[in-house]
Amino acid sequence: MTTAHDTHEHDAHAEHGEYVPPTGWHRWTYPGWLRILWVMPLFGGIGIGLVTLIRWAADWHPIYKGVPITTVLLTTLPLGFLAGLGGFDFWVRYSSGKPTIPDDHSRHGARSWRDYFRINTDHKVIGVQYLVTNMFFFLAGGMLILLARAELAHPGTQYFNPQTFNALMTDHATLMIFLVIVPAFAGLGNFVIPLMIGAGDMAFPKLNALSYWLLPIAGVELLAGLFVPGGGPNSGWTCYAPLCEHQPLGNVFFNMGVQWAGASSIMTALNFLVTIITMRAPGMTFWRMPLLVWANFTTSMLVVLATPFIAGSQFFVMFDRVMHTNFFEAGNGGYVIGYQHIFWFYSHPAVYIMLLPGFGIISEVVSVMSRKPIFGYRLMALSLLAILVLGFSVWAHHMFIAGMAGWLRVPIMVTTLLIAVPTGIKVFSWLATLWEGRIHFTTPMLWAVGFIFCFVIGGLSGIWLGAVPIDVQANQSYFIVAHIHYVLFGGSIFTIFCGFYYWFPKMTGRMYNERLGQLHFWLTFIGFNLTFFPMHYLGLQGMPRRVADYANRFGGINEFVSIASFGLGASTLVFLYNIVWSWHHGPPAGRNPWRALGIEWQVDSPPPLFNFEEEPQVVGSPYEYGVPGARHVIFGAPQPEPVSAGH
Amino acid sequence: MSAHAEAHGHGRPGYDHPLPIHFSSRISPVIVGIFLFIGSEIMLFGSFFTVYFFDRVVNHTHPWPPHPYVRPVFVAGVNTLILVTSSFTMHWATVSIKRGNRAGLQAGMVLTFLLGLTFLLTQVIEYHRIGFNTSDTSFAATFFGLTGLHGCHVFVGLTILLAMTIRSFRGHFSPEHHHGIEVGGIYWHFVDVMWIIVYVTVYLL
Repeated sequence: MTTAHDTHEHDAHAEHGEYVPPTGWHRWTYPGWLRILWVMPLFGGIGIGLVTLIRWAADWHPIYKGVPITTVLLTTLPLGFLAGLGGFDFWVRYSSGKPTIPDDHSRHGARSWRDYFRINTDHKVIGVQYLVTNMFFFLAGGMLILLARAELAHPGTQYFNPQTFNALMTDHATLMIFLVIVPAFAGLGNFVIPLMIGAGDMAFPKLNALSYWLLPIAGVELLAGLFVPGGGPNSGWTCYAPLCEHQPLGNVFFNMGVQWAGASSIMTALNFLVTIITMRAPGMTFWRMPLLVWANFTTSMLVVLATPFIAGSQFFVMFDRVMHTNFFEAGNGGYVIGYQHIFWFYSHPAVYIMLLPGFGIISEVVSVMSRKPIFGYRLMALSLLAILVLGFSVWAHHMFIAGMAGWLRVPIMVTTLLIAVPTGIKVFSWLATLWEGRIHFTTPMLWAVGFIFCFVIGGLSGIWLGAVPIDVQANQSYFIVAHIHYVLFGGSIFTIFCGFYYWFPKMTGRMYNERLGQLHFWLTFIGFNLTFFPMHYLGLQGMPRRVADYANRFGGINEFVSIASFGLGASTLVFLYNIVWSWHHGPPAGRNPWRALGIEWQVDSPPPLFNFEEEPQVVGSPYEYGVPGARHVIFGAPQPEPVSAGH
Repeated sequence: MSAHAEAHGHGRPGYDHPLPIHFSSRISPVIVGIFLFIGSEIMLFGSFFTVYFFDRVVNHTHPWPPHPYVRPVFVAGVNTLILVTSSFTMHWATVSIKRGNRAGLQAGMVLTFLLGLTFLLTQVIEYHRIGFNTSDTSFAATFFGLTGLHGCHVFVGLTILLAMTIRSFRGHFSPEHHHGIEVGGIYWHFVDVMWIIVYVTVYLL
């Protein structure tokens, strides 16, 4: 990565780790946006050439065919983008046998806004890159669904034909899941996890930078899919095969976009795992780790083990489309619901991927804001592990009515209901932490309590849906839409806002506006419940989901829901105004505005370039609030004997 | 890396240069990383085995392979022996550099690369002469799916091996620093073991 040091050895500044812009024609070969301008078309040309060559050699006609070329371009163009940006420079140098050079840190940290648009190895910069990207796609995904809600305000067709409506719905769900919730936790984790465990950076900083840059690629492909000739991706975020294989070209964009997002997510998770296993500060045993670190650890295990299954499912769809294989085509020996099994074997664990880090954030905030030790610390960590294991055994509850083997229903129902136990342990532990605490209702705390409220509603409807008889009745209705938004919006998004407000002073060094933060919470909380609670009723009354038109008798409630959803959308403007204004004009926050014990709060805000001036030494639990003299970490202590991997 | 930063000898630690890294595990991060990555890879293969299981067992496809397709069991068996041999030569290369034997490292790397390349070329020729195409029933889909996925891994493995071979001829690696060989070797062994499972499933069963 440190090509600055090699190609411009005369630059004295490079040794001090400062970014020196190259001059003259060097600007075109130096990693950056100018190099993208020619590397990306080059890779695109190579892609088209390869497809043409293979089709010519194999004597397949027509030699130029839209679907294979699109598929390959959606792979090679992003690779060209990454190569141009410099994502592969280090590994290309390393593997071509050039001598590796010491890291001069010229790619570490941000000195101007431009540094956020480069390959940057600083986990704090990458965290901010993630969060800003997520914010952009949160707005995009929100806009899409507001358009769809406008269509749904009245029965009949107003603005969009059903095909376009399906594309809006599909892209809304896909963006919100793969570009907002999953990576937002990666972003928050990127910023705080190395600080929390007392490490200078992630274990693989260059991989970290690369895995971030896969994300905008995925987002751009998913958004671009809306505008391709023939129509956008319209088979739902689940993109069931063989249905989606007979749909317009936009589905190819979904197919490839999800692959990029998945690759990004696996690489980040791997990085988190290695960082947490190998880079903890002296004294930081596994039972002294903050619960967010525990949560990220289990989530990353889920990502590393489950995400390959969605990659597999999308590979099959790609092969079916490009090479006309018959993995799922019943007429040719394929198994029709095979895709669903493989997809949900990822996508049910993915629900926990989208929740466990949120649980970790809530544990941090609830304990700090109640000024009490977290209740049942070890059980909180163990229940995460229980969810990790059980999460792999419940996938088929998405398929009770899909025509799968009948004997599978009851075992899956049992495991599904069983997984409520570790989740219940967590909810009751938070409540017990709140009990008789000195509760400070700051903005993060409001989000945390709002999360517990909404998540319990979503969890309870989840238990109903886990029972086969109710699922058979309520599946494919708006009841499902209500349930999924209570767990993913009232659950995950609330925890993301909670974490965002909580660590905002650490990230920017400035405090957000408390009144605007609370206003944002109340507007979102009320708007959210007004939007989604009536959907329970709509569903039980028999309104099917995934429809652009519906029976007249649902008209009144749908109009109400649409108006509420616009209110919910507008509440985001308060948030945007608050963070943009506070980023520059907020009052300085100081090191530790929450009087928290965690390591990340003992360093400057924002943290120094390399996090720590002195090595942190962990001496106790991270949650001993209200215990006189309790310390979690001390700095500059003499070195004790090294701690092994924590067993 | 940190040694380089220390060499500056000025400025505040944490602001101008990082502190030396404290490792909480005896195993190096790179090795932990490659094993986790292999876990991920096993799951990717798992999804392909799952679809194979669905198309063959759950779907009650009899006979397997469907008439009139024939699997080249013998050629693939010889190919299996070639790939298994390459695991031993890889091991030889790794042991050699640990003992500081550069000639052994170089010979081991070259042999491993050539054996792997032979395997891949045999596979390509086999595809060419096999008598069915990707679009022929789900049997062909799972056959090309599993062997093709494995072939891609052989290709990636060969790319790594080639790079490491070049580096071993440029005098890199020492008994103390040979992560490149070690990681490439672990990956290559994984590719080999996975082939044995693929061979048994796709060709023999």
